[in-house]
Amino acid sequence: MDLFIQQEMLSLIDMSIKIGKVLFKNPIITASGTFGYGTEVSSLVNVSKFGGIVTKSITLNPREGNPPPRIVETPSGMLNSIGLANIGVDQYISKKIPLYSTIGTNIIMNIAGTTVNEYIEIIKKVESVSSNIVGYEINISCPNVKRGGMEFGIDCDLTEKLTESLRKITERLLIVKLSPNVTNIASIAQSAEKAGADAVSAINTVVGMSIDIHKQKSKVYTKLSGLSGPAIRPIGIASVHKIFQAIDIPIIGIGGITCGNDVLEYILAGASAVQVGTSNYRDPGIALSMIEEIKLYGEKYIISSISDIVGVVSSNTK
Amino acid sequence: MKTEDVIIINNNEIASEIWEMEFLAPKISSNYKGAGQFIQIQLDPGWGNPLRRPMSIASCRDSKISIIYKIFGQGTKILSQKISGDVLNVLGPLGNSFQYKKNNLNILVGGGVGLAPIINLWKELDELRDNSYLIIGAKTKNEHIHSHNPDEHIYLTTDDGSMGLPGTVMEALKVVYENVKSSEVFACGPEPMLKQIQSFVIKNNIPAQLSVESYMGCGVGICQGCIISRRNYKNKNHSYHKKYSLVCVDGPIYSAGDVIFD
Repeated sequence: MDLFIQQEMLSLIDMSIKIGKVLFKNPIITASGTFGYGTEVSSLVNVSKFGGIVTKSITLNPREGNPPPRIVETPSGMLNSIGLANIGVDQYISKKIPLYSTIGTNIIMNIAGTTVNEYIEIIKKVESVSSNIVGYEINISCPNVKRGGMEFGIDCDLTEKLTESLRKITERLLIVKLSPNVTNIASIAQSAEKAGADAVSAINTVVGMSIDIHKQKSKVYTKLSGLSGPAIRPIGIASVHKIFQAIDIPIIGIGGITCGNDVLEYILAGASAVQVGTSNYRDPGIALSMIEEIKLYGEKYIISSISDIVGVVSSNTK
Repeated sequence: MKTEDVIIINNNEIASEIWEMEFLAPKISSNYKGAGQFIQIQLDPGWGNPLRRPMSIASCRDSKISIIYKIFGQGTKILSQKISGDVLNVLGPLGNSFQYKKNNLNILVGGGVGLAPIINLWKELDELRDNSYLIIGAKTKNEHIHSHNPDEHIYLTTDDGSMGLPGTVMEALKVVYENVKSSEVFACGPEPMLKQIQSFVIKNNIPAQLSVESYMGCGVGICQGCIISRRNYKNKNHSYHKKYSLVCVDGPIYSAGDVIFD
């Protein structure tokens, strides 16, 4: 009987995590651009079990995105160059935000702009209406647009200035999404922290390219595009490790997560939560199985709260 | 749409480099709407090939679904190595289907890898065969799985003239159209073929539905990877407001006048 009670208690690993003031029921969130506006596959997946959903990037005006071909599979990964195709903030407010009232999970709105003012204007528009969005993820790391995007993410001063401006206009969660296409990702993270970000997420896609040797042209229209999937997981984990040693705000780990073990690697490296991206294309419900796998790990190693193991590997060298 | 672990019943080469796979898929087949719909197949549980492969449904009856595929890459090679009893994870059914009118004369045109939905539609039109014509094109006779039989309204073409009418499906389409006139065309095949059919039907003012191919990520509208350019910006129900359309959720079947092949 005692043993039975003990086992019952062990299986109750506390999966909840806190970022800023926001509580997440578990650390598994879907990544921007890989789960639409969060409502597309509700007939297929019970999204209320997710820790959260990050929307695709929303811009001030609607964007058609880049011409085809936009994606191609690569070894253990894929390249994409969608070009921030989205309906724009006004339609997002009128058509998508109302759908979130019954979604049952934390919605984080990802926003992208070409100037500081554009980012400000988007957030101001959303702040002026009633919504249950818990926060904003600031995309300063998209490699697939001509202006803006990654320009901010590769520059400490611009990152700081942008984050500071946005901090002034919202009390909601502010997460800055970092690019791996920089010399020192930790210094960009420090700039975001200094300017008042609640968390950083890392990494966005790695710039890549693939060529059709028969047609003698790039397999993706824009030539350069963003590599994602398991191929970039070690880059993501190394980035989280470096950032963890440089800042004190939470990190959301992203890059090539396919199962519970991958989530745990990120958490041990210093991530408080993770985002699942490319894997959603293969199975939009894949995050649900990861939650179960982590619970089993918690039982096996007698972990009472997932927060207890954040950065265990990286703090050894802190 | 559902994901389902399906059990392979048969997987055989039915013509040169052209394979037919049949599997048991009770969940997916119970949601099937008609010829033109497709499924997304996960090649293996590993992550060497992360993306599913879109495959048009070639038949669906009695809880069984079949696909017809041509080996041209690593993914289709992996599929061809599967044997009876193997399990594949499949997502579907996805996309829209061909819409035909019972009293129309239907001309069905398939070429190369675009065989499956056309053969599926041909089976679906079983009772309307008197009103329907099937045209299938291939490079050579080894790639054909039918017999050239104009009495049964089946016209085959080969690039090398080794079977049926010499030349492309366009030669057969012109011949058939001359005889039947008022009709609707249904086509699937490589882009250059669809382009030629598109200009033929627009020039002759024939209604036509084309099943288009696109490199696909998710198949359910979340990755936005599989776009095609639109000619007609007026359809407000589209996933995109203007320039592009998502093949996975708006298609894969489009009216010939609605899309532009870049």
